Amino acid sequence: MNENYIKIESKSRSENIASIRVGITSFLSTINIHFDELMDIKTALSEAVSNAIDHGYGQEDTESIVTVEAWIRDEEKIIIKVIDYGKGIEDIALATTPAYTSKPENEHAGMGFTIMESFMDEVIIDSKINEGTIITLTKTIKKRKSNSKKVE
Amino acid sequence: MKYNYLNGKLTIYLEEELDMNSCKIIRGVIDGYIMKFQPYELVLDLSDVKFMDSSGIGLILGRYNLIRLLDSKMKVINASKNIKRMIELSNINLECVQYE
Repeated sequence: MNENYIKIESKSRSENIASIRVGITSFLSTINIHFDELMDIKTALSEAVSNAIDHGYGQEDTESIVTVEAWIRDEEKIIIKVIDYGKGIEDIALATTPAYTSKPENEHAGMGFTIMESFMDEVIIDSKINEGTIITLTKTIKKRKSNSKKVE
Repeated sequence: MKYNYLNGKLTIYLEEELDMNSCKIIRGVIDGYIMKFQPYELVLDLSDVKFMDSSGIGLILGRYNLIRLLDSKMKVINASKNIKRMIELSNINLECVQYE
């Protein structure tokens, strides 16, 4: 099996979400992947990292660590783990209900898990109270970039 | 962030990336303009938005609720294919959204 791997460790600051997105997206761009699928993965990743910072730790905690690991297997299977060591999710069924948000005051749409589940093949939530949460996102690439070049 | 106000219509041109971090700042700025002009119609133009996650949906919904309180209208224009998919997924009643 041909496997590539990257790991990004970040402080739990919301201004770092963009850097994590760029880092992982750039890693995934090393294989032939269609822009639409790359955007789907980028969006799902952004949701998972935002959850880790806002719910795992809370936005007032900017000194904790969020870890993102990503694997590319045989140039087609993508696995991303978003890990926090925060509060954990009390009620996973409730947290994944569309339009539910535990923080309406922050104007969340409550769509994070719904987007992750729709944009990825599989979403695994592994959470322990006061120990943290690991979100595993997987997707097998179906659409490839076209090789043909447009003639101007 | 550019804006234009003319004859009761406030247009706001959103840019770059709408995520949890940027939305926190942007929503305060937009609400400031809404309070200042009290427009009959708010238009959010997404032409120059390169990335958006569910925080952007929250931003649109929040402004929509505020605009309805003022008994005004709102329109979201030039949403990309990716943004469109997300809005459809969220199953929210946003008849105000128009796509490019």
